[in-house]
Amino acid sequence: MRALVGVLGLVLGILVGACLVLANPLAWIRGLPPLSAEIAPAKAYRWEEYRGIEAGAAALLGVGRQDRELALMDPALRHLGIGIVVLPAGEGAPAALAVKMSATAEENSLWRAQLGRDDYWNIFWPGEGSVFASSYSNYWAVMRDGLFSALRGRDQGSVATAYPVSAPSPVGNTAGVAGASGRYAGFTGEIREVLYPAAPDAKRADPDWAIAIKANPPPVVTR
Amino acid sequence: MKRLFVITFLAGLFVVALTTTFWPLPTHVRYRSLITVLPDGGRQEDFIIRWPEDRIRLPSEDPTSLPATASIGVAVLEDSAGRRTSAELFRLRDTDDNVIGVASRLAGTGGAIADPGRSASNWLLVIPSRGALFLAQTDVLDTTVRGEITAAGAVAVAPAQTAAFWADRQRLRVTATAPATTGAATTGKVLRGTSEFAGLEGSFTETWDLDEVNADGSTRGRIQLTTFTAAGT
Repeated sequence: MRALVGVLGLVLGILVGACLVLANPLAWIRGLPPLSAEIAPAKAYRWEEYRGIEAGAAALLGVGRQDRELALMDPALRHLGIGIVVLPAGEGAPAALAVKMSATAEENSLWRAQLGRDDYWNIFWPGEGSVFASSYSNYWAVMRDGLFSALRGRDQGSVATAYPVSAPSPVGNTAGVAGASGRYAGFTGEIREVLYPAAPDAKRADPDWAIAIKANPPPVVTR
Repeated sequence: MKRLFVITFLAGLFVVALTTTFWPLPTHVRYRSLITVLPDGGRQEDFIIRWPEDRIRLPSEDPTSLPATASIGVAVLEDSAGRRTSAELFRLRDTDDNVIGVASRLAGTGGAIADPGRSASNWLLVIPSRGALFLAQTDVLDTTVRGEITAAGAVAVAPAQTAAFWADRQRLRVTATAPATTGAATTGKVLRGTSEFAGLEGSFTETWDLDEVNADGSTRGRIQLTTFTAAGT
């Protein structure tokens, strides 16, 4: 009986402790506000053609095995994903070709509810111009809800339909958009990303994504 | 019994606290940065890419079914006006030949981007342990990858990977010495960096060096990116 009570106390302590860590309020207050849909319409995309790590909690926690077909085996590239994305045309903008690279952030901290990746984008609109963008995406809420959903027997009620993953970088102000060429040269702005988790009965496990970019031309200098 | 429950409950909380504190979150392997400090200030760092071996294959590609001159890890997007954009993915090496990161090269033609017969290109260099560098330039010629239809299906052909491109040269400086007259693209400019590269600005040059022409018409060679940076104002 004493052993049973001891084990029960320990298990309950671990469960309560894990729930307290997962329910860290910092995860709720650290997001970035969304950009106005009128100024920066979101472009939905699928990140299917990628190599390296997936955007799941296991890869961010450093557990689980990587898909050998996708993995980049060089030691320096073990915690990185790279892929090509086609952003669809719409809202007055043509289709764009883009490259997205994501590296697991070394500043991640379980105490601070930071489980994220540093994302880098280069987006090129044929005949128009190109921009670079960098941002930090925090997947803490995605991991938390996924875990609670698993504990409740894959209850989809615990999982949101969309996660605005863009968050302030733990290392300071390295996020933003930098215009590179064509009519976007010199532009500066902001970037936001939203993750849409795959439904449990979906054929493909990869999530859907959306990206929104707001970029302003450089200020006019008068002589 | 109640006391035992409380003690073990607290022990459970302690286990979680220890796990949360000491969980081995992933970190990136870092190689020594090979930087040269320039006499007049600033710093020079060279990055190397070898083709074709440093191209990163996309999951849907099967290199064994492609012609020798076809490039892997490439996407091409062309609009109805013939304005083309191509994206290429590479591993990135330091001058000691260590793979230290990844790089992408996006190049585009036409419209507001570049003069006829030329392209503008962007390099995104990501070294996971150090951060990212954003580079932009005008090219001396059209360096975009072309999509071609062959017996093996639609393939991407990078100019430098074909023997014909090297008929009259062994080396090519891709970075134009003057900006394009069309649009506002500057040439050989380090636009911005993140993390360890944050606050750095400067210039760069891209050079292609041919190592070997193979009997099947394909080539081997090196892309050298030489960056000159200094802390921005």
